[in-house]
Formats: sequence, C-alpha cells, structure tokens
Amino acid sequence: MPLVAKRTVDMEIIGDWVEPSTRVLDLGCGDGALLDYLVQQKKISAVGVDLDFNKITACVRRGLAAYQGDLTQFLRAVPDRHFDRVICSRTVHELANPTEVINEALRVGRTLTVGFVNHGFWKNRVHALLHGRKIRNEVYKTEWFDSRPANPVSVADFESFCAAKNIRIARRAHLAGDWRTPCRTLPNLLAGFALYDLAR
Amino acid sequence: MTDDLAVATSTDSAPRHLAPGDVGLVSPRDFVHAAPFTFKSGQTISGFTLRYETYGRPNATRDNAVLICHALSGDHHCAGWHSPNDKKPGWWNNLIGPGKAVDTNRFFVVCANVLGGCQGSTGPSSINPDTGRPYGIAFPFVTIRDMVRSQKMLLDHLGVTELHGVIGGSMGGMQALLFAIEYPHFTRRVLAMATTGRESAQAIAFNEVGRQAIMQDPAWNHGDYPREGGPRVGLAIARMMAHITYVSDASMDRKFGRKKKETAAGDAYTFDMQFEVESYLRHQGQSFINRFDANSYLYITRALDQFDLAQAYGSLEAAFAPVEADTLVVGFTSDWLFPPEQNRALALALLRAGRRASYAELSTDLGHDSFLLESEQLYTLVRGFLERDQLYTFDYAI
Repeated sequence: MPLVAKRTVDMEIIGDWVEPSTRVLDLGCGDGALLDYLVQQKKISAVGVDLDFNKITACVRRGLAAYQGDLTQFLRAVPDRHFDRVICSRTVHELANPTEVINEALRVGRTLTVGFVNHGFWKNRVHALLHGRKIRNEVYKTEWFDSRPANPVSVADFESFCAAKNIRIARRAHLAGDWRTPCRTLPNLLAGFALYDLAR
Repeated sequence: MTDDLAVATSTDSAPRHLAPGDVGLVSPRDFVHAAPFTFKSGQTISGFTLRYETYGRPNATRDNAVLICHALSGDHHCAGWHSPNDKKPGWWNNLIGPGKAVDTNRFFVVCANVLGGCQGSTGPSSINPDTGRPYGIAFPFVTIRDMVRSQKMLLDHLGVTELHGVIGGSMGGMQALLFAIEYPHFTRRVLAMATTGRESAQAIAFNEVGRQAIMQDPAWNHGDYPREGGPRVGLAIARMMAHITYVSDASMDRKFGRKKKETAAGDAYTFDMQFEVESYLRHQGQSFINRFDANSYLYITRALDQFDLAQAYGSLEAAFAPVEADTLVVGFTSDWLFPPEQNRALALALLRAGRRASYAELSTDLGHDSFLLESEQLYTLVRGFLERDQLYTFDYAI
C-alpha cells in the first residue's frame, strides 16, 4: 500500500520559495514530512533537527538525515553559510530563546523561512475576551494543564521583532483562518497563519 | 562488553535455536589469507586467518552484505547457536535473524573475529611460523585500520561487491566509521553506536589499569606463557574493572543494590565475599579468563587507545571528507565510557563535512553496553536505516 502524506498550503508555499538542489536545514523537523516533500519536489539536500528519538526514526525511515538534539547547540556547531536555507516551521512559538535561534539561523543559512500560527487572529482575541481562558480550538488543542509552555506570537509581534533586529523581510505570505486562502488585508487581525522569508 | 545482556528466550518446549526469528544452528569458518600482511606499524606477518560466520544469503549482485563489527571482548559469533545445548546464542542474537531488525531474509550478514583477537583469528596467541611458538608480544601492533583492512580482504574473498551496511558498537563503531573513510565507494551505510572518534583520557586510563593488572601478574612473563596458563589473576581483575565501565551506577544498583550473599558470614568484619556485586564481578572475571587471551587484551585495548580520527587525518571533517555512505550514529544517555557528546561530535563533523549523517540518542540507564539492549525503539531505527521505507507520495489535493 502506498504511503500517502497530506500536503498542506504552507508546505506548498515553502516549496515555491525553496530553490532547487540547495542545502536546506529544518529546525524542528518532526517526522520529516516537509523535508521529504522538498526532496521529492526540489531535489534539495536536507538535514532535520528534532528533540525526539521517534521523530528521528521517522526521518531515517524516509531516508532523511536528521539530528536529535537541542536546536541552539546544533546551530552553534554549524559553520557560517553552511546552508542555503533554514526553515523554522510551526516551531518558533516553542523556542525558549527565539532571538538567539533566529540570529544563529541567519548566520548558518542565507535565508530563514519562518512559519507560525498568528496568535493575533480575531477568533483568538474574541475567545480571550469572552472566556478569559486559554484558547482551545483546532489549533490549540489542549487544556492549559496538558500543554507545554508556549510563547505565542502574532504577525505584529513578529514584524516588530524583525524591525528591531534589522532583519530584512524578503517575502511574506499570510493565510486566512482556513490556512488556505490568501489573506491580503489586516493580517494581524485576519490571518490564521503567516510565513516569512528573512535575510540579513 | 558484558555478556549478560543477550539472554536466551525460549518458547515453551520448542528448541531455542528453532524459535521464529532465530538464525538457528551456525558454524564458524576460516578465511586464510596466505600472503604477507603489513600492519600500519610497518611490521609484517606471512599470512593470517580470520574466523567468521555468515547468516542469510548473498543476492545475485552480491551487494546485500551487512558487516557486523564486534567490540573489545566480542567475537565472530553474533547470532544463532553453535549447538542446541549452548547456554547462550551469539552476542547480538536479539538484533540479527530472519524478520529481525537486521533481517537475514534480506541481508547476507558477515561477522569476523578481529585480527589480533583470540577466538580463532590470528593474534598474539597464534603460532608464529618462524618460531613454532605463540607470537606473544612479538606479534605486530594492531590498529583499528588493520582490523578493517583484513575484514575487507575477507569480504573480497566472499565476492561482496558493495556493503549494504556496516554496523558496530563501541570498537565496532570505530571499525564501521573507518570502513566508510577507507572504502568510500564500497560502503553504502554506516551504523555506529556507543562509539567515539577518539577515546577520552578517562577511557585510556581504564584500559591502562587493565593492562597493568595483566602485566604486573608474574605469570604474564613478558607475554610468554603457555596456552592454558598465563596471567589469569591479572586478566580477571582487568575484566572486573572494565565490566564496571560497561554498565552504570543505576543499573548496578538495580541489579545488586547492597544485597548480601546468602553464604556471607554473619560477621561483617572480614574480607571474604559479602555482597552480591562482588560475587558477580568475580564470576565475570573467572568466565572471561576461560575465553580470552591476556595478550590479545593488551593489543586490542592499545588499538582502541591509538584510534584518533582527528589526529590521523588532520581533523574529523577531513577524515569524513571522502565518505559516501549514509551514516547513522546512535548515542546512549547513560554511556559514560563513550558518552553521548562523543557520538554527537561524530555526526556533527560528518554534517560539517557535507555528508549525509543522522544522530539519534536513546534514553537508557544501562551504560555503555546499552547498544546490546533489547529495545523495540532501537530495532525500528536500525531496520528503518537499513531498509528505508517506500517513498511517500503526497496528496496534492489540499
């Protein structure tokens, strides 16, 4: 039986941004679905990093190179400009030290792609206003007491971070609440998901 | 490595060697290289023998071979049984067999006793044809590279055109890495576990205490001793100490704690054996002297100490520059002999050299010998690395 993985819109957008046959590092690669997609679509040479043994096993089973360990320690061991692109997809809100990871990622890669759930999305604001409790929906699935510590980020937070750190935003893509339709106005309020290509 | 992790599993009354997933009864064979062999040291012997075992069959193109490399005190008998009455199967029987992580239905598995060893391969206890007596310490100094070169000759003799993979833990991991460096076109996959690119001062120190225990035993006699004699006290002490370095504080405490021997005298003020752990270590020492040669122990520990990839090739990155194999390094959290950092350093250097390398770290509390662990997680990883799943197809309907 063929193994089928679901392609998502953020995968498709990152796939459009990635140049063929380049060296790509995925920080928080999970089971390697994104890297596998990029290898098949763009013939990239891929390296993933993740903390979990079983995730590394999943990557190895896909034939991907994957390193089990701490992102910051991994990045420190990599020379400048070793990768063409670093990807930080759906992990940035879990970083204990986002500034350091992003700085290091921009040192080891020419371009950094960041994809995250926009915490400023209007439904999140309404939920907080009405309930005064931790948001729970399809994206934020767990109760407070079953959740890992997270550092939610909004489109506005992220863009002001880039401005403060002199990081150039080379490209951006915002998706509406369905994570499919492009969102062209008021992204901090109306976008459910955001993607950025950053450079120094 | 210790020899009490590979425990025989039997199902009801069926003979253990006929259990599903077991390679069954196996016999070792000898590969005789009848031409002079020059060691890295420059010293030469007129020929050598490697004792080896194989499981599974070579395919038509002879590129399905998986070489297993053993650790310091291991041997060529890594799976199956020599006789139905054996107390234990080969040392990696839990990993290797039909349908197991290293699947002998797919792969032609080869394992040889290293050059310098004492389980049938040529080493210091072999007869020197020039004198008619054992070589003793006249045997050339052995390096990991000599072990690898001689095993490559065996693989050539077996008609292996390409290694599907080479797997080893500890010293076996060193050999596996060196295969990829020395024979890049020949080696497609390397799986190195609980290993290092060079030993730390602490690991060298432990080896030196072992060697001194042997060499300070008067029966060592500068390496000149009869086959059944020799420095039995020294070798047993070396083994007792080394054994401690293969396990961990936690695993020893779980197994023995402060349990007393039943035979221990009520009086605590005596040097007779009192604790279970003392009895266990003495047993380890005693069983080791019946199967291992003291001079081989000196030679192989020296080979371990001398192994230094960074020094031999200029840097670890330079060492790995020629590698074409996919490499997987596995570290174990409780391994304090070749700790996770040293395994991680190998994977990072491979990646810096632009090679395809993975690093996985298993949480265990069994110490250095964790690579012999019965762990489904480890089996899935090993199998996934050797077999690689079929390609995922992506569902483009978003």
